[in-house]
Amino acid sequence: MTFFVDANVLIYSAVSSHYREPCLEILGAIARGDAEGRTSTAVLEEIWHVELSGRAGALHGLAERAYTLMTPLLPVTDEAFRLALSVDAPALGANDRLHVGTCMAHGIEVVVTADQGFDAAPGLRRVDPLDPGARHKLVG
Amino acid sequence: MLKERLQVLVSVEQRRCLELEAQRRGTSVASLIREAVDAHFCRVSQADRLRALEEIRATRGRFLTADELNRLVGDEHDGQLDAVTQPNPR
Repeated sequence: MTFFVDANVLIYSAVSSHYREPCLEILGAIARGDAEGRTSTAVLEEIWHVELSGRAGALHGLAERAYTLMTPLLPVTDEAFRLALSVDAPALGANDRLHVGTCMAHGIEVVVTADQGFDAAPGLRRVDPLDPGARHKLVG
Repeated sequence: MLKERLQVLVSVEQRRCLELEAQRRGTSVASLIREAVDAHFCRVSQADRLRALEEIRATRGRFLTADELNRLVGDEHDGQLDAVTQPNPR
C-alpha cells in the first residue's frame, strides 16, 4: 500500500524524542524497498526550511538526505493544487491542504504523520508513527 | 546490455509526444523511454538510500511538536509575504 510521508516523520527521525525509533523504522522499510512510502517536493521544502531556520537544532544536511531517501518525489501538480483548494478542513493550513491534494491526485489514501490535524482530512486515513499496530501494517 | 523486453501500453497523446521528441532529438522512442527510466528511477541506489538513513539516524536535532513545526513553516511564508508587501525603505 502506498502511503504519504509527512515532514514531521523525516524530521523526527533526526531529533531526540520518543518518535525517533518508530520514524526510523518507517524510513528504514522505505530505504530497503519493503514499504511504498512517498513524499512530495512541498514536504521537502518544509524540511529544508526547518533545517535552515536552525530552530530545531543542528539538522545540517537533512533535506539532502531526505531527498536521497525519498526520490523520486511526488510532484505538486496543477491537479493537486486544484484538489487542495476543494479540501474542507478548517484545521489544516495551506501547506497541509496541498499535501492532501497531492495524495488525492496520486490516489494515496494513507498519510503517516504525527500531526493530528490530518484526522480531519477528507478521504485520508492518518497513521500515527507511535501506533505500532498501524505502523506494522504499513511497513510489514 | 539490453536483455529485458517490456511491453507497455500508452495513450495516443503519450505516443505522439514520444515520437515528436524522438524525431527532434534524432533518436528512437525506445531510447527515450530507457533514458526516462534511468533519469527518474535509477539515480539513487539502495545503498545510497541506506547511507542517507544512517546519516539521518546520526543527526541530533531538537524536538519541536507538530504544531510548532506547522507554525515554523507558516512563519516562513508570512516572512516572504512581509518582504513583498512592506514598503521598501529608501
